[in-house]
Amino acid sequence: MSFLTPLFFAGLAAIAVPVLVHLIQRERKRVVEFPSLMFVRRIPYQSVRRRRIRHWALLLMRAAAIALIVAAFARPFLPQAASATAAAAGAREIVIVLDQSASMGYGDHFAKAQDAARSVVRGMTNADRATLVLFAKNAEENMRATPDRARLEGAINAAKVTAGATRYGPAIKLAESILARSSVTRREAVLISDFQKTGWSGSEEAKFPEGMTLRTVSVASEGTTNLSVPSIQFARAAFSGQERITVTAGLSNKGDAAVKDIPVTLEVDGHEIESQKATVQPHASGSVTFTQFTLAGPNVRGVIRAGTDPLPADNAFHFVLTPSEPVSVLVVDNGAADGSLFISKALAIGTTPTFQVETTTPGRVSPASFDKRSVVVLNDTTFPPAGGAGALKQYVQRGGGLLVVMGDHTTWPTGETELLPGKIGAAVNRMSGRSGSLGFLDYSHPVFEVFKAPRSGDFSAAHFFEYRALEPLPTDRVLARYDDGAVAAVERKIGAGRIIAWTSTLDDTWTDVAVKPVFLPLVHQLVRYLARYEQTASWMTVGQVLDLNARARGRERIVVTPSGERVAQAAAGQNVAGLVELNEQGIYELRTAGAANGRPDSVAVNLDPVESDLAPLDPSELVASVTGHAVPVTGALAATQEMTREEVERRQGLWWYLLLAGLLLLAAETVIANRLSRNEKFL
Amino acid sequence: MTTSQAIPGARFVDPKILSRIGNLELMARSVVEGFINGLHRAPFFGASIDFAEHRGYVAGDDIRRVDWRLYARTDRYYVKQYEADTNTNLMVLFDVSKSMSFGSRGIPKLEYASFVAACLGYLAQRQRDRVGIITFDKEIVDHVPPSAKHFNVMLQTLDRAKAQRAGHLVEPLTRMAEFFKRRSIIVVISDLYEEPDAILEAMKPLKFLGNDLIVFHVLDPAELQFDYDDASSFEDLESGEQIPVVPQSLAEEYRALIKSHIDALTTKFSEHRIDYTMLNTSEPLDRALFGYLSSRERFMRVR
Repeated sequence: MSFLTPLFFAGLAAIAVPVLVHLIQRERKRVVEFPSLMFVRRIPYQSVRRRRIRHWALLLMRAAAIALIVAAFARPFLPQAASATAAAAGAREIVIVLDQSASMGYGDHFAKAQDAARSVVRGMTNADRATLVLFAKNAEENMRATPDRARLEGAINAAKVTAGATRYGPAIKLAESILARSSVTRREAVLISDFQKTGWSGSEEAKFPEGMTLRTVSVASEGTTNLSVPSIQFARAAFSGQERITVTAGLSNKGDAAVKDIPVTLEVDGHEIESQKATVQPHASGSVTFTQFTLAGPNVRGVIRAGTDPLPADNAFHFVLTPSEPVSVLVVDNGAADGSLFISKALAIGTTPTFQVETTTPGRVSPASFDKRSVVVLNDTTFPPAGGAGALKQYVQRGGGLLVVMGDHTTWPTGETELLPGKIGAAVNRMSGRSGSLGFLDYSHPVFEVFKAPRSGDFSAAHFFEYRALEPLPTDRVLARYDDGAVAAVERKIGAGRIIAWTSTLDDTWTDVAVKPVFLPLVHQLVRYLARYEQTASWMTVGQVLDLNARARGRERIVVTPSGERVAQAAAGQNVAGLVELNEQGIYELRTAGAANGRPDSVAVNLDPVESDLAPLDPSELVASVTGHAVPVTGALAATQEMTREEVERRQGLWWYLLLAGLLLLAAETVIANRLSRNEKFL
Repeated sequence: MTTSQAIPGARFVDPKILSRIGNLELMARSVVEGFINGLHRAPFFGASIDFAEHRGYVAGDDIRRVDWRLYARTDRYYVKQYEADTNTNLMVLFDVSKSMSFGSRGIPKLEYASFVAACLGYLAQRQRDRVGIITFDKEIVDHVPPSAKHFNVMLQTLDRAKAQRAGHLVEPLTRMAEFFKRRSIIVVISDLYEEPDAILEAMKPLKFLGNDLIVFHVLDPAELQFDYDDASSFEDLESGEQIPVVPQSLAEEYRALIKSHIDALTTKFSEHRIDYTMLNTSEPLDRALFGYLSSRERFMRVR
């Protein structure tokens, strides 16, 4: 029973009034002195105790009358109809939602979960139907609704722990959709999980409507111990033409006890390279840095292993390393001595990636010079003749990057205006008075994004004494402007390529930006952006999707999963093939059909680090969020929205009866009290 | 139930007016003189010089007592014998228990009882009787032995008597029985809140030695009528016990009970030749005196 206006229950305090009146009256009564009560005592009368009991009965009548009247004002109503009680005895539609995320591999959690699921199946009647939903990051309907308990148990027995992360939202939504399809009135979902807190953000829009219940079975253990390797870092160094890698492994102890002197091992290509001892305090992190090793070739597989605990899956961390390829940059300058000194020195410092810089003059440039170049820099120079006739344009359209650094010597042929983002004008001299500075930077652009945070690069300190006027087209994107509003940098995209024009020099002739701290990251960002450089990930996370199209085009691939399963992928471009969901932890091999034997392309896949955090959620919190009730509501409820107005009114009409009963009780109390007082010899 | 019996010539004085006199002796004189004056030829007044009989002269008799006239007629010596000395003891046993302090609309029972005792004392003193008093509640409070000179002491004792403590009849009366060595008229003035059998048992020892016992049962009209209106909590003056009571519903039964109590006392006392008088404090004092005098007359006859 619920109440429309429960605030009226404050009126229950009025029950105290008769009690108070009774007590006050008792206190105030007159005392008459009498010589002796010898004869009064002899008169047969009800004992004091009996008299009090009778008065208590009156008091109770008064209190009950007040309570009934208050309850009437609170407007009680019955949310569940008689149909609900009738339905309580009917068949059930059950959805068993079984967690098979990686964290369920902890100790005997999954065995306990299977037991719980089996007990749900065994509790079914012949009329009941159940669906088995297995979930980790995503949910799947493993066994469709069936009354066959043997099949359900078989499916439960066959379920295994996966490497996926825990997410309750999709599973609950799937359960809700299955229950919503059912025509049975008693619908319930049983969620069996270790209730990792990380799997429920509370913002999932998974809601059960009235009539569906969610029951939870938690298999979480108290006082878990879990050491994991959530991430690793690589420091690359070039050494005699080869790359040397220093691996630093992070360790995280989510348990309540410290782990002491556990061995942390680095394995490369199946060979143990080094092992170190590490100690990590409870709920703390640590790291282990291994000695350098030389990266011999591409697709070197490695793994970090740290100790053993009840959840072994997150004690290993896989990675694949490939020597980084340098970004090839062609700098064309006017041939002056040290004309490109600042640019070439800046690019020589880069490690991720390394830059391979070649400096030349316009006269020496040939169309072949653009081949295999990632970026071409025209540094304060005339337009190279070999770039004419569309050669440079073709290079850009194929995906090449072009950086035009303007200066005194910059000229642009009228036939190639498409390659310059704007119409070039005369030089603007800011020597007189205050020099110019950068007044606007588009921090949303990838080039300047790294400078977005405070104290991440101060461009205001750079002075610009001279620059070339440039009028960009409306379609061009202005990346920076000087304090007088003139364009400082502008971008234009042609085909797959990118062009950026910088209207001042990148040396110390027109500006002192080259001697400011922001210079080095600026040049690196410009070149990386134009070269479309992206660092190759050394590992991916379970649940991510691998795009084969980006790795090999137009060829049939065979994907070998860590468990040894072979998945043939047709050539990219046909249907939607080319996407592989990474569901297992370990190394995926990507083999090209008919390719020569060699080291196959590899992708390392690791667990989602949040899966290592076994801190449990209070299941009732989840139930409350999903159903709106803190505890499962027993019995199926008829859909209230389908009730007629008359039925709604009838269920809310209880207050009439309560009010009537209260008034009748008051009337009866008056009659009884009068009669009693008339017959009463004693107070 | 007692009602005022009109005694011819008696000057009835309202106890309330008497209470204003303040002086017990003056009050007692007013009452008693008025009462006596009203009684013409009171048959109860014996005189100690009254002739009783003749007896033969014996050697050694005082010759002044020889009745010479009889000698003249009979020629024999006879000696005149007169009535013996009729002086007696009046002992008042005066209840000063807390319940005696009750008075609903006039004077308290204790004061009324004092008047009665004072009047009796005065009457006795006038007749040259010896008067004494014992006040008691649950034990003996004051003891004034009987003496012809103790009337004033008695009045003082009555004057300072205060009803303070709970009372009990049996123990003090049993003890008092030891005091009486001579035949006495013993007057008990009390409200007699005890069981009739218990009261009788307590009185019996006083009857030894041929004592004459007069019991004055002093009750307030409220105790007889129980004419209260409002429902109230009634508190026992002696025990302090409180009982919430609705008087209208209870009065009938109460009156029946107190009547049966008085009837029982009347019956039992008469069986044991004890003079019992119920006194209503709203009525004049003459009944008390009448009771006393009738008792004294009986006493003289019995001798």
